[in-house]
Amino acid sequence: MTRRIIYITLASGVIVITMPDHAHAYIDPSTGSYILQILLAGLLGALFTLKIFWRNIKGFLSRFLGKDRQHDVGAD
Amino acid sequence: MSEQTENQVNGSFRDPSGFVFSRSGTLYRQVNACYSQNYDLLMDSGLYARLVKDKLLVAHEEIEDHSERKEQVYRVLKPTRVNFISYPFEWCFGQLKDAALATLGIQQRAMEYGMVLKDASAYNIQFVEGNPLLIDTLSFDRYEEGHPWIAYKQFCQHFLAPLTLMKYCDVRLGQMLRTHLDGIPLDLTSSLLPRKTWLSFPLLTNIHLHARSQIKYASKSRGTRVNGMSRRALMGLIDTLLSAVKRLSWQIKNSTWADYYENTNYEIQALEQKEKLVADFLDLIKPKLVWDLGANTGRFSRIAARRGINTIAFDFDPAAVEINYRECRKNSDTRVLPLVIDLTNPSPGIGWEHRERMSLIDRGPADCAMALALIHHLAIGNNLPLGRIARFLRSICSTLIIEFVPKEDSQVQRLLRSREDIFPQYTPSGFERSFEPFFSIEKKAGISDSSRSLYYMKARP
Repeated sequence: MTRRIIYITLASGVIVITMPDHAHAYIDPSTGSYILQILLAGLLGALFTLKIFWRNIKGFLSRFLGKDRQHDVGAD
Repeated sequence: MSEQTENQVNGSFRDPSGFVFSRSGTLYRQVNACYSQNYDLLMDSGLYARLVKDKLLVAHEEIEDHSERKEQVYRVLKPTRVNFISYPFEWCFGQLKDAALATLGIQQRAMEYGMVLKDASAYNIQFVEGNPLLIDTLSFDRYEEGHPWIAYKQFCQHFLAPLTLMKYCDVRLGQMLRTHLDGIPLDLTSSLLPRKTWLSFPLLTNIHLHARSQIKYASKSRGTRVNGMSRRALMGLIDTLLSAVKRLSWQIKNSTWADYYENTNYEIQALEQKEKLVADFLDLIKPKLVWDLGANTGRFSRIAARRGINTIAFDFDPAAVEINYRECRKNSDTRVLPLVIDLTNPSPGIGWEHRERMSLIDRGPADCAMALALIHHLAIGNNLPLGRIARFLRSICSTLIIEFVPKEDSQVQRLLRSREDIFPQYTPSGFERSFEPFFSIEKKAGISDSSRSLYYMKARP
């Protein structure tokens, strides 16, 4: 539930930032692709850090519990 | 110019880093001097060796350049030959997905070695021995901390957009890649996708918000704030894309053609006899490359593949091609390349000057074409005169294995059930007369327990 609330809050924030105010006749889509990446950079970096952290915890626990699931990490 | 014939290959003229040219039938890639530092980094960092080892990049050897075209040359490479160039709009869902995963896998490895992919074009991927390989060796740039991924837009348009449209709307939308050569525009993709895709974080960000960001900032220059993307954030972006692509799957529902073998009037014995005849003809012809036209799920393509013959298995049904591709992956069958091609409207020459991407005919001729249980669909199902079918087949092959399915066959009767029979010339003798100007009939055999015949023909010069 908490995860869903965080997701909706973050998504709404990004939608407000990127919602088009007006369209242009001469479109250079690369600028928007660049800016979106920079806008999302903090979020993507944090999510990736969390994912790695969670993998490490899982890896540690499985080793601790004696389950040798070497190939689980990095599977997705 | 040297005495040997030398031509720049169409489709490789946009990149200032180098280009592909052919000399006496062999393909080479020139590396221009302006790309020397990046090329050296690719080779010296170990990235090239790693990617070749992981079967993600085409291998090459550096050769001495003997031409007089010295301007801008840094190196001349001779890449391993690709047997058949295929295009993303000819791939089934699974092939496009595997090509996307290969592209992201290459980007991840490149970052480990201090480089990035500067292009993520689906046209840079080719299927070689069953694996999706990057064929553009000049696609790498040195990674600079802080820079966003320059190929992000291209990746989303070439891979993520068509894959999501194929999954959430209709698998046939993969054909939109044929009209949108630089990938499907994201605003178009966003407007076609169902609302539920807004609830998926990777699709929300990489398609919907991406499309809106492109429109919002279309008139603004990139500005100076370019160093806002940390290495970890970039890795996070690639990871998100990877998760998004991995999660996309396509469930094959009912397909008339994929069930074809179950619904034909062939008895097991007749089918086995037909297989043996095809095998005998192939052993006589000894082709290096076979085009199996109307290959369905590839039952007969495998007869050629088992003889070590590279076989392109064309069918217009995306489900049949998907089944064929999955079967090839499952059995590590590296000789068969299944592709979605409609023979009544085969891939044309497209792009700049109609020559950037080759037509199907331009990619031939094949040593041998197989047209098994196909002629009645073309002649009766599509009103194509037999002479025109013969002329087309002559333009794509040197030898032909073709099955004639006469009118009394129940499959033809099914085609005629809902229409008037306006095909008086569709008889065994009419068939032979129509093919005679284009092919010589070398062998002919009846298929027992059926009224069908199998022919081995040679193209006339």
